[in-house]
Amino acid sequence: MWKFSKYVLVCSVILVLPVLTSAQNCNLAISGFVKDVSTGIPISYANIFVKELQSGDVTDSLGFFNIKTVCAGKYHVSISHIGCETQDLYLNILTDTTITVFLDHNSQLLNEVAIVGQGGKVTTQETQSLNSESIAQNSDKNLATMLENISGVSIIKNGSGIAKPVVHGLYGNRLTILNNGIAQSGQQWGVDHSPEIDPLVANRITVIKGVGALEYQGSSLGSVILVEPKKIAREPHLHGEGRYFFESNGLGNGLNLELQQYRKLLAWRMVGTLKKSGDDRTSKYFLRNTGNQEANIALQFEKSWNKKCYSNLYFSSFNAKLGVLRGSHIGNLTDLEEALERDVPFFTEDNFSYSISSPYQKVNHHLLKFHTKYNLSEKQWFDITYAGQYNLRKEFDVRRSGRSDQPALSLKQVSNFIEVKYQNFLQRNWEFKSGIQINRVDNTNLPETGILPLIPDYIAYEYGIFGLLSKKFNTTTLEFGGRYDFENRKVATVSTSVPREIIRYENDYDNLSAMGGITYEFDKGWKATYNIGFAARNPKVNELYSGGLHQGVSGIEEGDPTLGKEISIKNTLSLKGNVNNMLFFEGLFYYQNIDNYIFLNPQDEVRLTIRGAFPVFKYEQTDARLKGFDVATTYKATERFNITGKYSYLDGYDLRNHLPLVYMPSNNLFTELNYQIPELGKFYNVGFQINSRYVFEQKKLLPSQDYVAPPASYYLLGLRLSAEKQLPKLRLNMFVRAENLLNETYRDYLNRQRYFADELGFNLIVGINISF
Amino acid sequence: MLFITSCKKDEPEDPIIPNEEELITTLNFSLTPDGGGTPVVFTFQDLDGDGGNPPTITGGTLDTNATYTGSLELLNELESPAEDITEEVQEEAEEHQFFFQTSASGINIAYDDMDVNGNPIGISTIVTTNGASTGTITVTLRHEPNKDASGVSTGDITNAGGETDIEVIFNVEVQ
Repeated sequence: MWKFSKYVLVCSVILVLPVLTSAQNCNLAISGFVKDVSTGIPISYANIFVKELQSGDVTDSLGFFNIKTVCAGKYHVSISHIGCETQDLYLNILTDTTITVFLDHNSQLLNEVAIVGQGGKVTTQETQSLNSESIAQNSDKNLATMLENISGVSIIKNGSGIAKPVVHGLYGNRLTILNNGIAQSGQQWGVDHSPEIDPLVANRITVIKGVGALEYQGSSLGSVILVEPKKIAREPHLHGEGRYFFESNGLGNGLNLELQQYRKLLAWRMVGTLKKSGDDRTSKYFLRNTGNQEANIALQFEKSWNKKCYSNLYFSSFNAKLGVLRGSHIGNLTDLEEALERDVPFFTEDNFSYSISSPYQKVNHHLLKFHTKYNLSEKQWFDITYAGQYNLRKEFDVRRSGRSDQPALSLKQVSNFIEVKYQNFLQRNWEFKSGIQINRVDNTNLPETGILPLIPDYIAYEYGIFGLLSKKFNTTTLEFGGRYDFENRKVATVSTSVPREIIRYENDYDNLSAMGGITYEFDKGWKATYNIGFAARNPKVNELYSGGLHQGVSGIEEGDPTLGKEISIKNTLSLKGNVNNMLFFEGLFYYQNIDNYIFLNPQDEVRLTIRGAFPVFKYEQTDARLKGFDVATTYKATERFNITGKYSYLDGYDLRNHLPLVYMPSNNLFTELNYQIPELGKFYNVGFQINSRYVFEQKKLLPSQDYVAPPASYYLLGLRLSAEKQLPKLRLNMFVRAENLLNETYRDYLNRQRYFADELGFNLIVGINISF
Repeated sequence: MLFITSCKKDEPEDPIIPNEEELITTLNFSLTPDGGGTPVVFTFQDLDGDGGNPPTITGGTLDTNATYTGSLELLNELESPAEDITEEVQEEAEEHQFFFQTSASGINIAYDDMDVNGNPIGISTIVTTNGASTGTITVTLRHEPNKDASGVSTGDITNAGGETDIEVIFNVEVQ
């Protein structure tokens, strides 16, 4: 009885208190300014909404808003503007309150990042990113296809569902992808292996189009992609988001749910994704067996032990089944030649289907990360991180006697990583960061395949140590750093000669990397940056020891155990700024030399097997040169109307053999026209976009470098309509996107299935995002 | 830190050598003359699979104006005793078909077997010869061909599709 009355008492206090105070003072005001985070320029037409009042205001031309007759109390306030990440605040209003809110506005026009990453590290390297707003409006896409509209980023595909990003012409092992700060550990060597990361767990995806990623372990020769989840907002209530999308092509459906709550005891966040799609369709026919299924979950816990010590625990699990076009599974060169001559691939059916049968890939990737930050002072701290990764990849082919259920490739990779980092903001704007990293990778072929493994088993130890120093003067920022890596790799493989026996190899590599950069800020917000980086990449086991038939491309690929490491020097020069805050410009020029660049070189030899004759490709080394530029410009005609154009150019050349490099992205031009209306009836932040992508033909290749000439140039038109709506307890964010509006028939040079089938035809995507 | 101290001894265990039961190392195409006699055997043998040593290919000589009973045999001789892969093909007859193409004008090869749908398989054939000629015989095994496509049931590979499991070429002489 006592307990009950106490409960009632507590409740009534909470309920009555606001009534009491409101009776006393309901004439308060919440007012303030909304400004751009990078320039400080006021943002007009931003929406301010107070959930508890079910009303709000829109900023005027000075970025000013004023909400009057507010009673004292606690309020959820959201500040939104089209294209910007919505800011949610939780305010305790006791008196008239004035706030200034910074949104990342102008910069978002060109995917530029204005906010420095976690840890506050200033970098002179070129970074571009997608914010949570753009991730939500592209929830149907995978990690690689989401990044496609960032200039300088292309994608290598194997059909429509399997895609990996390419930055400045480099991909796979030459491009490090960091999932929550941890280098993704899997079978990156495969051109048809997409990164095992669910982009919907991320709050921000950043591409560092840089010269050296010295802070990160991995084998990057310059660029890095960061996938970063959100920090849990300091908000005591349960909040979340639910997303759903439907796409007409492939009849894809996706569901994503995110929940989070901040408690002093423990803050938590949970994200889950389910996706399912069936056969995609080109402009003319269905692509049989191209469905995908995905089920992912991520859990995040954060805990502040005291003022000095903070820990977080992160677990993510990615699980996918990815169909591969049935008609692209071929036996030998005769089959390939036959496929090349066909308009419609073999095995094409008239009906749509969700079913996925051989050939397909089944991929599981789990990550467990534990991170503790210990602050020595406000300007000095340690970060200690452990990460474990488990990667399982099984690939199923069409096989005889029921063996289609038995994988043709089955690889397990387990990695364990420990890192200690130290960061110090010294006097006079000096900033110092250093760390040591140890990683153990255990890669094993599971013996269930009944086929000689394509790549060997190995255990590798990687040790790294780095130091970075930067200083900001008035108009100049300087950055330089160095890194040392040692790798020991023990390899065990099965001979291709009979009797089959076990062969062992051991490799040791030590590498030094270094980078330097300088940014100079001119008057009126223009700045120029120059970076230079020296990096090395060790040959990977597939390049050294692989041997055997690569089904998809009808070739025998052979490694070379004598290959040495690649050594790269990359230069970037960038210029960015704006004219009267109306015309924005950004240009990045790069020039990279890679000595001992490893590539698959077609041999004059043809190998006879029982399946027929196959061309032979050997991993060889040459000196490569990559040069190119990315330029982007936005013209903001009015607050409501803007137009953006982006152009990427790349030239890759083999300096020893005097040939163009194969698999280099085509030059491309992307344009978009945006019209935005702050309020339209019951909707706000209404946006209308027309976009187009023109991809030029890859004309540099010689006929002897491919089975068939690269596809013709193509032009795609797209539309997007988005709007928001505020309901009493929920905020709705809706979008409709149309892709390949004209139902063009085309093929892309970087899609390995271009030999067999066309790209996707018209696709309409409808999505809704509910936040509470 | 345990794994660091133990790293010197840390190396991969011996990989398990896979049981390559699906591998086809050998194809024998035996032609037995009507009314008996010593069969002519065309053989393709690659005992170590795709890599390693090149295969050995043995052609043959046929009589003019003769009729032979053709029989195909597929073996995995990496196994001991050798495994008969012909049985696997026979069990999945609807999903397989052999094709025979010859550049020697005096040779005709006709199917002499059927799957449950009445379509040819090609393990058994009737081979007839006319006048003297020389050339090659190409034996192709297609997995999951479209057996209903035009010309496929009479042995025309053009519209068959599917993927090639076997494609071997033998020299042949009719004299």
